[in-house]
Amino acid sequence: MSIQNVASAPPSAEVEKVSGWRRIWQQDAPGYLFLLPWFIGFFGLTLGPMIYSFYLSFNHFDLLTAPRWAGLDNYMRMFTNDPKFSASMRVTLFFVVFSVPLKLAFALGVALLLNRGMKGLTIYRSLFYLPSLLGASVAIAILWRQIFAGDGLVNKFLSIFGIVGPSWISNPNYSLWTLIVLSIWQFGSPMIIFLAGLRQIPQDMYEAASLDGASKWRQFWKITLPLLTPVVFFNAIIQTIEAFKSFTPAFIISGGTGNPINSTLFYTLYLYQEAFGFFRMGYASALAWVLLALVALFTAFSFLTSKYWVHYDD
Amino acid sequence: MTFRIGRRQFLMGTSALMAAGVAGISPVFAQAANLRLIFWGGQARADRTYGVTDLFEADTGNKIDGEFLAWNDYWPKLATQTAGGNAPDIVQMDYRYIVEYAKRNAIAPLDEFVGGALKLDDFDADQLEGGKVGGKLYGISLGANSVATLVNTVAFQEAGVEIPTNAWTYDELMTKGEAFAKANIRNGMKMMMDASYSEPMLDNWLRQKGLKLYTAEGKLGFGADEMVEWLTMWKTMRDAGIIVSPDNQALDTGPLETTMLVSGKAAMMPSNSNQLVAFQTLVPDKLDMIGYPRIAAGVGGGHYRKPSMFFSVGGSSANKEAAAEFLNFFISNPEAAKILGVERGIPCLPATRDIVAPTLDEQNQIALNFVSNLGDLLGPLPPPPPAAAGEIDSSLLRTIGQEVGFGARTPEDAGPYFVSEATAILERAT
Repeated sequence: MSIQNVASAPPSAEVEKVSGWRRIWQQDAPGYLFLLPWFIGFFGLTLGPMIYSFYLSFNHFDLLTAPRWAGLDNYMRMFTNDPKFSASMRVTLFFVVFSVPLKLAFALGVALLLNRGMKGLTIYRSLFYLPSLLGASVAIAILWRQIFAGDGLVNKFLSIFGIVGPSWISNPNYSLWTLIVLSIWQFGSPMIIFLAGLRQIPQDMYEAASLDGASKWRQFWKITLPLLTPVVFFNAIIQTIEAFKSFTPAFIISGGTGNPINSTLFYTLYLYQEAFGFFRMGYASALAWVLLALVALFTAFSFLTSKYWVHYDD
Repeated sequence: MTFRIGRRQFLMGTSALMAAGVAGISPVFAQAANLRLIFWGGQARADRTYGVTDLFEADTGNKIDGEFLAWNDYWPKLATQTAGGNAPDIVQMDYRYIVEYAKRNAIAPLDEFVGGALKLDDFDADQLEGGKVGGKLYGISLGANSVATLVNTVAFQEAGVEIPTNAWTYDELMTKGEAFAKANIRNGMKMMMDASYSEPMLDNWLRQKGLKLYTAEGKLGFGADEMVEWLTMWKTMRDAGIIVSPDNQALDTGPLETTMLVSGKAAMMPSNSNQLVAFQTLVPDKLDMIGYPRIAAGVGGGHYRKPSMFFSVGGSSANKEAAAEFLNFFISNPEAAKILGVERGIPCLPATRDIVAPTLDEQNQIALNFVSNLGDLLGPLPPPPPAAAGEIDSSLLRTIGQEVGFGARTPEDAGPYFVSEATAILERAT
């Protein structure tokens, strides 16, 4: 019927509109068609669940019975009456504050070493990148258990010097540090980015500086670091977000418990426990949204302060 | 209100069903049903289970698609499938969760099949009772078991300490533990693991005192004083070096491989009678089992024969009758019994027990004998634990046990704290 209407319409602006639509159909539609799989994925698997989880965060939902409206209960409990929420928040913040700067410093150090034009650079680069490929895997987390257990490699090494070490991964004073060390060990991807950044710095600046008698140390602080700040900024943002999201190592090493004494109870691990251990999907959704807000806040803060310390070369 | 179906609708409906049949989708009334089964356990249990599903298929033509997961992964998966209206026809169920699932109709009452597809006339009465919720039968016990202390017999020989018997007490645990530690075998092996945050052991200790972990109303069945006493007792043993150190004990995160018995740091471990089979595959030394220690000589009643696990029928299953037939086959078919052995506990039908007993090797006989000869250790079956019991165990008892273990809290402080936190968790859950 609509086809007849179009056919019988007088040749006027209507027609132009139709041909306009046709042009869009012919020119743009194939593009959107190719994007369709991504759209389906984004709306069906990302945006849809996100909206639903936002709805759930205002409900009590145990998977077996229908969600019950809870208003702000979940958020109220989180901020007023949940010692595990604050405990897990402390653990995650501690992890972020220590693992990110240490990891970046380590990555930059290795990048500087590799940037001196040594032989076999590509091999070293690959070797140093290797832990990042393995890092989040279950196998490495299990290996970490072996290395830092009471009768693990670390203590066997220490016993050579007559030191009797504790069981690092299961002692509440050290367990989080073993996870920070694991995170630093995966310095590969920021290192590669630093290395690329170092290559961008014009060599003539260093030549000019050495002619003026600047020491290597001074050159690093006055040339390398300032010119590298955009890369540092990028790496810091990415690694901070990664650190907030960190889940697998703590999950595997503590067997999903966050123990001993909740010392490795990462925020994401607590969220997982609430959702799939105790079936409080509503509360877990609320936790997820608070984490999102927190990461967004951190990132926004970084961007706002960046103009004071990041130097773009323009 | 009546439904009237016109001739045309009837024709359309039936031809749609026919078409579905052709397309391989079995209509409800089809002869051969395709059942889905989900259970927790390891490869050994899976091999035995699939042996029986194959037999069942050969016998009845009903095919069963099985799936198995580890305990920790099982419950999220089952809950997710149930929420999605996609629960399997037959689900393995635990005493801890059966009330929860029954109350929400996630599993179906089986009373209509009793006497028909399910023949339970000789079924052990206490095991039948264990599968009931609100007077209706929701789960068929797959075997009886009891808590038991697993014992590494070779380590005891090396230490020159005599293995205790079912008559042993907590005092004996201390004196023998001291002698064991003094022998200093295998790089400082202890006689007992740190069981201060072992829920079944605390439960057993309370029952001997005439108390219980949880009341039938789902409230805490003991007070702060008992918790202080319990934690102080373990602290005494810890400080005297009789039990495993707290940082070694914290390496135990649940899986069998991480336990102190398997890692060789302790020669004894509180566990369940049916788990001897699984532990023996991981420990090279010969294992044996005795009861949990008594609070004083001659005091019993801490143990009980509990259903180790159930099979239940999914609430939304379209094949409940066929599922019930499978359950009956699983507990009573002689060939199935030989395949299953006592891996899920001691069979609850006398006829099945008689078939299984002669086929068992020495290790499996141990469990059978232990559960059949509990004597005065045996007490009544406690009511099913409240829904929040799992959370109290994994997130409160464990944490407090570790806090006292590492010296972050005194027992005097931890007792009242435990009671107030546990009460809060129980209240929140209702």
